[in-house]
Amino acid sequence: MSGLAEHAAALVGRRTVYTAPEEFGAAAFRYYARAVGDHNRLYTDAGYARTHGYRDVVAPPTLVCETNQYADLPMDAEGYAGHTWRIEIPDTRTVRGGNSYVFHRPVHPDDRITATWEILDARVKTGRQGGEMLVVTSRATYTNQAGERLVENTETIIFVSLEAPR
Amino acid sequence: MSPATSTVPSGPPAVRELTIGIADMIAYAGATWDWHRLHYDPAYLSEKRLAAPVVDGQVFGALVAAQAQDWAGPGWRLAELEFTFRNLVFAGERVRCEAEVVRSGDDGVELRHRVVVIDADGVEERVAVEPARSLLVLQPRRCAP
Repeated sequence: MSGLAEHAAALVGRRTVYTAPEEFGAAAFRYYARAVGDHNRLYTDAGYARTHGYRDVVAPPTLVCETNQYADLPMDAEGYAGHTWRIEIPDTRTVRGGNSYVFHRPVHPDDRITATWEILDARVKTGRQGGEMLVVTSRATYTNQAGERLVENTETIIFVSLEAPR
Repeated sequence: MSPATSTVPSGPPAVRELTIGIADMIAYAGATWDWHRLHYDPAYLSEKRLAAPVVDGQVFGALVAAQAQDWAGPGWRLAELEFTFRNLVFAGERVRCEAEVVRSGDDGVELRHRVVVIDADGVEERVAVEPARSLLVLQPRRCAP
C-alpha cells in the first residue's frame, strides 16, 4: 500500500456516466423484490400501485443503485459486471463502508436510467487493527431520459490491506 | 396532486429475522447481475483470506428499506436511507433487523435501524449494520404522469 496518499489524491474528481440501453422494465422490479423476500405489492401490482397514487408499479427503492443490470459493462477478473473505479491495489480486499440514499421520486418501468458517478473524496486511514486502508467516497446521481433526478447514492468503499498490521 | 392522509402506524416496526443462505445470495446476484466472486468462489475467498461467501452489503439496504416501507404502509414513501456496515455477514448466517421510531413531524417519520447477526437462540453475535436510519414521507394520492 506504499504511495497510497498520492494515489488517493489523483482519484478525486474522477467521473463516469452509464446510460441504460433500454427502459428498466417491470420484470426487473419483480425479480429483485422476490430475491430479497419483499412482497410489497407496490412493486408488482400496477392496480394496487395506482390506488396509492402511483401511475404504475414502482421499483424497490434501492434497486436502481444496483447499476449492473443496465451499465452494460463486461465482467472483470473478479466476476463483477458493474461500475467500479478500476482501482487496482495489490494485497487488499474491498469492503463497503456504507451508503446514503436520497430518493427524489419513484422509479417506474418506463424510466431509462443514466447513472453519473463521481469520486468526492479519497483518503488513507488507519484501521482498527492498525493496518492502512484507502477510503473512497463516491456519489452516483440517477436520472431518467427526461433528465429528472430520481435517486442519489453516496457510497463509501474501503480498500483494506491484507498485510499483517504493524 | 393532493396529499395523502395516512396516519403514522402505531407501535414499532416489526422485527424481522432471516437466514441468508447461498441460494438467497444466488437469487440476489441474478436479480442484480452482481456476480462478484466474493459472493460464491472458494478460491477467490481463500485468496482474500475469507472463510465463507460474503453476503452482498446492498442486501441489507433492501432489508432496511423493506422494514421501513412495510411498517409505514403504501401511503408513505421512502425518501432517505443511510447505513454503515460494521462487519461482514457470511452465507448461512442468521440476521435480525431491528427498528424504532425516533421522530415524527411535518417533514416525515424517521426510523433508526440496526441489523445484527444472531445465533440459533437469537442471541446477538455481532453488529452487521449500525447506525442506520430511514425517512418516510407521505406519498401524494396522485403522481404526475
